Amino acid sequence: MRSGSLAVLSVLICATTIAAYALLLRVPTVRNHPEGYVAAFALAATLAGLAVALARRWYAWTALGLSLALLLAGATFNFVLARIPEAHTTLRVGEQAPDFNLPDAGGQAVSLAEHRGKKPVVLVFYRGYW
Amino acid sequence: MAELQGLGAALSEAEKTGVEIVAVSPDPNARSHEMAQRLRLGYRFVADSDLTVTRRYGLVHTRGGAHGEDVPTPTTVVLDRDGVVRWLWISSNFQLRPNPDEVLRAVRAL
Repeated sequence: MRSGSLAVLSVLICATTIAAYALLLRVPTVRNHPEGYVAAFALAATLAGLAVALARRWYAWTALGLSLALLLAGATFNFVLARIPEAHTTLRVGEQAPDFNLPDAGGQAVSLAEHRGKKPVVLVFYRGYW
Repeated sequence: MAELQGLGAALSEAEKTGVEIVAVSPDPNARSHEMAQRLRLGYRFVADSDLTVTRRYGLVHTRGGAHGEDVPTPTTVVLDRDGVVRWLWISSNFQLRPNPDEVLRAVRAL
């Protein structure tokens, strides 16, 4: 393959990865495999590297710069910034969850005890509005 | 919000009445309520503004927030009718969410 085609392919992989990730974020398999975008940027960088090796032209360097920047940013985000240290949770499967009493949106108190013997509860801890 | 939306959408109308989904965050209630309305979720949002409950559960991610504040570790827990933990998912990366189908499977297995 020629240098130009490799450079174009590299840029296309980068663009498709970003678009696909943004569009498919709601799909659990996509969302839960963020290492996929890192791998795609690594592939794009490899192709751009080959393009530069074949011909040291501006388009090859551009593709290499772009894909390396995305690879670095993506890898830093996924492996460093987004990482959460292991939680030292008191929750154990098979054990009682500690009860609580917290206000809901209408100011009404919600507790686990009020559901006991009535309904199963799915408890979701989330980080807030983002 | 994707995880909340996903789970809400995966539940049938019948299941929404048979299971209580309680979403805990330090988020002020008004905003959570507004969001629930907008997404039409069968959720009860409760505010753990000072993270007391999150801390009691051992789920605080220290200085994990965008401005260095403490935030909850994204976690999903399925409790049976006796309040016993039957299924537990704790995130190790804030991009990750439990697969709604897996949560549902745990709920249906009760």
